[in-house]
Amino acid sequence: MLHPSLMSVTPVDTSLSDRTVVTIVRKHHRLVRLAHWLNLPILFMLVVSGLGIYWASPVFLHPADRVTASRDYLADAGAAVARHLPSDVPRDQLRFWFYRHFSVGVYALAPALRLHWLFAYLFMGCGLLYLAGLVNGGGYRSLIPRRSDPREALAMMRYYFGLVPMRLVGRPWLHPRVHGKYNALQRGAYLSMPLFGLLAMASGWAMHKPAQLGWLERLFGSYDGARIVHFIAMWVFIAFLVPHIVLVIGDGWDTMRSMIVGWSKRIGEPHE
Amino acid sequence: MSDEEKTPEAPLAAEAKTDQVPSSPDSPVIASATTESERESLPDLPATESFSGSEPESEEADGAAILDETMSVRRLPRGLIAQILAPEDETPVWIDPKRLGRQSRRDFLLFGAATAVSAAGVWWLLPDGTKQQWLSPAAASRIDSIEARFGVTGQRRERFLGRVLTFDDDVAEALYSRNRRVRAYRPSDVTPLRNNYNGRTPTGGYLVSWKLTLSGLATGKETTLTAGDLSRFPVRDQVTRLCCVEGWSAVAFWSGIRFAELLRAYPPAPAARWAAIESAVNLDGAGQPDPYYVSIDLDTALHPQTLLATKQDNRPLSLAHGAPLRLVVPMKLGLKNIKAVTSIRYTADEPPDYWNERGYSKYDGL
Repeated sequence: MLHPSLMSVTPVDTSLSDRTVVTIVRKHHRLVRLAHWLNLPILFMLVVSGLGIYWASPVFLHPADRVTASRDYLADAGAAVARHLPSDVPRDQLRFWFYRHFSVGVYALAPALRLHWLFAYLFMGCGLLYLAGLVNGGGYRSLIPRRSDPREALAMMRYYFGLVPMRLVGRPWLHPRVHGKYNALQRGAYLSMPLFGLLAMASGWAMHKPAQLGWLERLFGSYDGARIVHFIAMWVFIAFLVPHIVLVIGDGWDTMRSMIVGWSKRIGEPHE
Repeated sequence: MSDEEKTPEAPLAAEAKTDQVPSSPDSPVIASATTESERESLPDLPATESFSGSEPESEEADGAAILDETMSVRRLPRGLIAQILAPEDETPVWIDPKRLGRQSRRDFLLFGAATAVSAAGVWWLLPDGTKQQWLSPAAASRIDSIEARFGVTGQRRERFLGRVLTFDDDVAEALYSRNRRVRAYRPSDVTPLRNNYNGRTPTGGYLVSWKLTLSGLATGKETTLTAGDLSRFPVRDQVTRLCCVEGWSAVAFWSGIRFAELLRAYPPAPAARWAAIESAVNLDGAGQPDPYYVSIDLDTALHPQTLLATKQDNRPLSLAHGAPLRLVVPMKLGLKNIKAVTSIRYTADEPPDYWNERGYSKYDGL
């Protein structure tokens, strides 16, 4: 027997007359929507607690600075910002500035670890919800790479680069034809998120249980290899957020609303 | 005459709807309601996911365009793989705008409530120090007191997060296997091992009179062992990684006796499940006595790679690294690898642990 998601059946309520109906298209399965929004507080807490853990033993180090004795790039970046702020941070605490504002803080390893474990388990649960929603609602179909993707991705990039200049000179600038829910760039970005989630989870377990899950640690080369992959995954999540928010705002209310209510009124139109 | 006979489509439509209802997890009210209110859920009907295809329909899955008058089937390609990879269905659905509005209003209300609850929850879980850094101490305590009015207190947070640690420890314990060896390295892989302890390193005065006290034994008596007593045990070499809770790690070359062999020679009481291991000579940062103690479950103590080390890099242990005897337990975090051990007490109940009392987890299995 076929999986229900493979059967596409659209019921048409015969009790509705033409005048009382509105035409919509289903967008995101309710579990996908739930997981999407749950990710927001979960990833926030994972990042702030994760940076608190990172502070205890940074991976990316340079030779100790002669003046501050700091070896940590993140601490240096924070100190550089704090020096130009009007606030009165004591000189010996300048290097804490980044961690105090973007993490749970310095010398807070124990609370940071507790929070990180809690939200790591929640993150994995959220990932399961997302997968269940993708499979159940058939949303995974829009994430599978297509042969036309490279060409379409170039067309989309050309479109985005030309968008503002063409608007300025007042020339029409057409959105490339997109078949389906996502264009090629979106497909790549939205597929990369669960994959990086998986990578963050695997590297997290590799350093959490390197003895019992030694095979996982070896998959990342070494213990520190897993730490670096985990750190990069965090930056990917953060880097995804900026264009994601900009494009959703640019695309309009329908797109934003569809992630809350699960339907869209834009039928057969390209959307971000 | 029954209703069914009057309206021939009714049973079919009802059947389709009841099929859809169980798979609407966020509309439990609808699931328990009558047919009339089930219709309310129509706007939210994700037909693709809710139609549980029964035998006759699935046979037609790759062909038929019309199942019956009330449904239309989307054409899917032939072949299972092709069907799985087919693009997402974007067939428009007709909906009564009033129902759509009601459904959407419910979704937005849920969304707003969930946002408020999440924000309050995140604030509740943050450490007090973080709250005061992110806002001002005054603002932080104002929000805290509002939350406390709803019973969301700092005490509850500590209890809850403590339970999270216990849960994670239980996972670690479930993963542990005495038969699984941790990765062994070659002596040439050794990396510098830092002395990460903030306290003062004791002077070697205690070494002259050093003894290892064993208690909680099957004999019921306390036994003291000297370095000479321990030298009767076979010495094992081991190159393993020491992973600190802070995130750094180092590969070190240890030699010492197996904890399992000490346990065999001086068996603990039958009820014992834990070893409370203490270093009475440990000093704090000001040079004052600050006994250090860890809890080790006997299952881990019996692991063949759990050593009571006497040597590092083929030389007797330095004072900084725990002369004359330290625990090397590579399947636990570095903080369990207690230096300068002076006593081992076997207990039935889990003994206290120095860092657990300071907010870290207790089992610390790697």
